[in-house]
Amino acid sequence: MAKSKTKSAKKSKAAAPRMEKQKRRFWLTYPPKLITRPIIWEMSQRYGIVFNVRQASVTEDIGILCLELEGTSPDLRAAITWLEKQGVKVEPVEINVIES
Amino acid sequence: MEKQRPFMKALKCRECGHEYPLEATHVCEFDFGPLEVVYDYDRIHGRLTRDLIESRPRTMWRYRELLPIAGEPTVGAQVGYTPLVRADRLARRLGVRELWIKNDAVNYPTLSFKDRVVSVALSRARELGFKTVACASTGNLANSVAANAAAAGLDSYVFIPHDLEQGKVLNSLIYGARVIGIRGHYDEVNRLCAEIAGKYGWAFVNVNMRPYYAEGSKSMGFEIQEQLGWKIPAHTVVCMASGSLLTKIHKSYQEFSKLGLVASTPWKIHGAQATGCSPITTAQKAGLDFFKPVKPDTIAKSLAIGTPADGFYALKVMKETGGSGEDVTDDEIREGIRMLAECEGIFAETAGGVTVGVARKLIASGKIPADESVVLCITGNGLKTLDAVAGHAGETREIRPSLREFEGVMANDQPDLVNS
Repeated sequence: MAKSKTKSAKKSKAAAPRMEKQKRRFWLTYPPKLITRPIIWEMSQRYGIVFNVRQASVTEDIGILCLELEGTSPDLRAAITWLEKQGVKVEPVEINVIES
Repeated sequence: MEKQRPFMKALKCRECGHEYPLEATHVCEFDFGPLEVVYDYDRIHGRLTRDLIESRPRTMWRYRELLPIAGEPTVGAQVGYTPLVRADRLARRLGVRELWIKNDAVNYPTLSFKDRVVSVALSRARELGFKTVACASTGNLANSVAANAAAAGLDSYVFIPHDLEQGKVLNSLIYGARVIGIRGHYDEVNRLCAEIAGKYGWAFVNVNMRPYYAEGSKSMGFEIQEQLGWKIPAHTVVCMASGSLLTKIHKSYQEFSKLGLVASTPWKIHGAQATGCSPITTAQKAGLDFFKPVKPDTIAKSLAIGTPADGFYALKVMKETGGSGEDVTDDEIREGIRMLAECEGIFAETAGGVTVGVARKLIASGKIPADESVVLCITGNGLKTLDAVAGHAGETREIRPSLREFEGVMANDQPDLVNS
């Protein structure tokens, strides 16, 4: 499995320049119905995103997580879109960058 | 000001207390908590006196030892020291003994309290060597950055949602700012702005300059205390968008009290929101120390932040001081704007209507006792939100150029005057 992954990675490297990974920081807020679901693990598995939890508060009312996510730009974008589709609010670590 | 060591000491994480140098950075590398400026209060205590403050020009910079710049202010030197108006007519209407209006609707140069935070952020940005400044905004902040940057000869980029009303866009374009409209829903635009702020070496006033920027709000609180005769008001009502202004008014009371510039009398800070966007007051009323994000739907656009960055800290301040949170409907906001205009001749933007409406509710419920003194913080000018009151402020009555017709109208309004 690991071998074939390496091969395909080499192939894609020849076809196109390798995407650089980047780190981005987000606050995730999710509703009670998602609290029992390992949603961050699911995201990581689906999109190959490395996550690092910096702060977390999960109660029966709400789940709030502060994460650093690492992946390529398209993977990060896809992961965020997927999280939002599941009902998770994804904000930059600064939260409301847009002010009045 | 003579050349000397700055009175600010470091940036400090509000969560873990980790300290950082005074650079353009805003979150803790460990827990991503927000950074805040800390000062050398021992040195300030020996220097900053009432006499010294009173000897300086009437601007927000008369408290400069407690503002985060190293030298002279180079941007917005005329900002602040707005009127604190004794509002007896409105006090009678609301049923309270002593009421004051802190009127930032006439703040210089763009008629909102944002000129305070922006002038601090841009002065500090210059000290740190930035040539380009930026912000992401839907209104007052954009106008203030554009105007203050223009006056200071700085390049400015303003990021806005693409569908923002033309009037608000013009208020930034006119100053020569580069305005970029971003298509997409709010969260996408918000994330992109954070990404741009991280990628380009600009002073993004409410991102990497945020620790300095936010401190500018304290000047409103300093002025309130000085203008009241060096006293802390028993009650202060502050409208909340991100919640930052409320926390900084509280900090200003703490600082003056700590420095012995005012007697340390108890104070309560009350938070005001629109019912259509009330994540903080909803949490406060439920006794929670966290809020749930909401989708804004209110005429008070300048307060329409569904996930307020300082909401957690605003809740903490209300709890610590024994203050309350309350919210008002769109109709109550318009009623608040009218009451302030009719009683005091002050035309506030919708956020001001929120503050007045909430004060009215808090006084009626006894949370602000009728025999105590209250300050209402008015943060922006009504000329900026004319649409919100159009059709709700009465109507013109037209007549032909005839005295008889005029007296026909007068007969309805003031029959005694016409008959005499």
